[in-house]
Amino acid sequence: MSKLSNVWVFSDIAARLPETIAGGRALGEKVSAFIIGSEADIATAYSYGASHVYYLGNKADTQMIEDFATTMSQAIKDGEKPALMLLPATKRCKALAAKLSVQLEAGLINDATEVTLDDGVVAKHMVYGGLAIGTERIASTVALVTLASGAFEPQAADTSLTGEGVSLPFVAPKQAITCIERRVKQGNSVDLGKAKRVIAVGSGIGSLDNLALAGELAATFQAELGCSRPIAETEKWMERERYVGVSGVMLKPDVYLALGISGQIQHMVGALGSQTILAVNKDKNAPIFQYVDYGLVGDINKVLPALIQAMKA
Amino acid sequence: MKIITCYKLVPEEQDISINGDGSVETSKAAPKINPFDLNAVEAGVQIKSMVEGSQLTALSVGGKALDNPKARKDILSRGPDDLTLVIDEQFEAMLPHQTARVLASAARKCEFDLILCGDGSGDLFAQQVGMQLGELLNVSTINAVSKIVSVTENTLTVERALDDEVEVLEIMLPAVVSVSADINEPQIPSMKTILAAAKKPVSTLDTEALELAALPKLVDAISVVAPKQAERAQVIVEGDDEAQIAAFADHLRKALN
Repeated sequence: MSKLSNVWVFSDIAARLPETIAGGRALGEKVSAFIIGSEADIATAYSYGASHVYYLGNKADTQMIEDFATTMSQAIKDGEKPALMLLPATKRCKALAAKLSVQLEAGLINDATEVTLDDGVVAKHMVYGGLAIGTERIASTVALVTLASGAFEPQAADTSLTGEGVSLPFVAPKQAITCIERRVKQGNSVDLGKAKRVIAVGSGIGSLDNLALAGELAATFQAELGCSRPIAETEKWMERERYVGVSGVMLKPDVYLALGISGQIQHMVGALGSQTILAVNKDKNAPIFQYVDYGLVGDINKVLPALIQAMKA
Repeated sequence: MKIITCYKLVPEEQDISINGDGSVETSKAAPKINPFDLNAVEAGVQIKSMVEGSQLTALSVGGKALDNPKARKDILSRGPDDLTLVIDEQFEAMLPHQTARVLASAARKCEFDLILCGDGSGDLFAQQVGMQLGELLNVSTINAVSKIVSVTENTLTVERALDDEVEVLEIMLPAVVSVSADINEPQIPSMKTILAAAKKPVSTLDTEALELAALPKLVDAISVVAPKQAERAQVIVEGDDEAQIAAFADHLRKALN
């Protein structure tokens, strides 16, 4: 299917705008960016390939991004059809997109990992906590999609690029929410999703002493520690932020080493994005071995200390 | 204050399996309350305790799974004073924008000051029903609420943890608020609350009484399949003597480089 004549884009976070515009360029002849902010932000949008900027002005600190939904939906209603709007899958943009979906009677797909044009806008996103991928086609004339990070590769900025600007008057929403304070979020102590090396422990680890040894092994190659759900929720040996799999963390490391993890699919979906998968388990029939590059069938009590020695050597 | 907390029944994720052809097998997975909605129920219990004389109603729309007495008792054992259900075969496996429209019609029939939803559901995780419900009802609506700060008869103050910052928001009631999974730790029902649940009122709304406009179909579901797995080397060393562990350590070292 040929490209759409126009794709609308918006991002509440500057860092996500380039990939969103890249998505617009991949799917549309023109890319029209909604910009809230300064003149410099308009220039940035052009430099990443927006052909048109719809400038919504600056935003007061007490004002919500979501309050611009009515202004945006008006512009989209007045624009060419069929239309697509792409946003990054941030919490704010999901809220904004849901409001737009009602105002425009438009289909919405969140967290899209892939968007294509095939008799309409078709997007893939994870369902059942990552066990499966759902593919959906948007049937309405306006389609709304929020993008998981990595869905499109951002292009380098070209500051010589420019485009056509339009200023849009703010259309006040019927119901406004007031933001009375904003503060910087305390960084999470751990973000396993970004870790390059992960050791994950399961019930087969057996004891807190062995858990400490797993930590020691992790230190030998700067790995983060993750775990299976029972270790976090039943044993409570590790914090919730560290459990891998359905409704937990989805990993994408270079190396993933499973210690005493049986390999239930609910855990594995969080680990299958790993470049190389290694596992130690005493049961040679454990499902984990179906997913590994390298496996060792052995007693964790014996393997762990020996492995630490070997990695230190 | 009249509080409604919405919930959906989803298949128990631990009992979902993948068939050989990649399709998802949910027939052995019993329906349970969507875990994100338990956070909404708990937030409702908390807000109820902050405003004297409040009433907390659980609301769900869907197919015949909602008929199950165990599922009804389960939701009522978690704190709601009563339960309202809309059960109709045509509401089986609804798309999110359709669920939002049926919930909106049901909510218009019940009075409310505040509606609570979970941010998403454990099955399709479309993450839009709560926000769409608020927009359809034309009231203030927000997602990702991570803390209830204070509440009065006509305002709700909350924290909202976003990717880059925390917002403190003042929301005029009536409103629809979607809460994140980290807002609270839902209580596990006690024997006492389970027994009490059996005595709580359950009412059903007839589809006709909802005066529902025809449900649009804005999205077509094409397929749900397990992703294809990457080819793996599948080198398995059996045994844990020194040489075997050394061989495994070599593989690990190579992977690290």
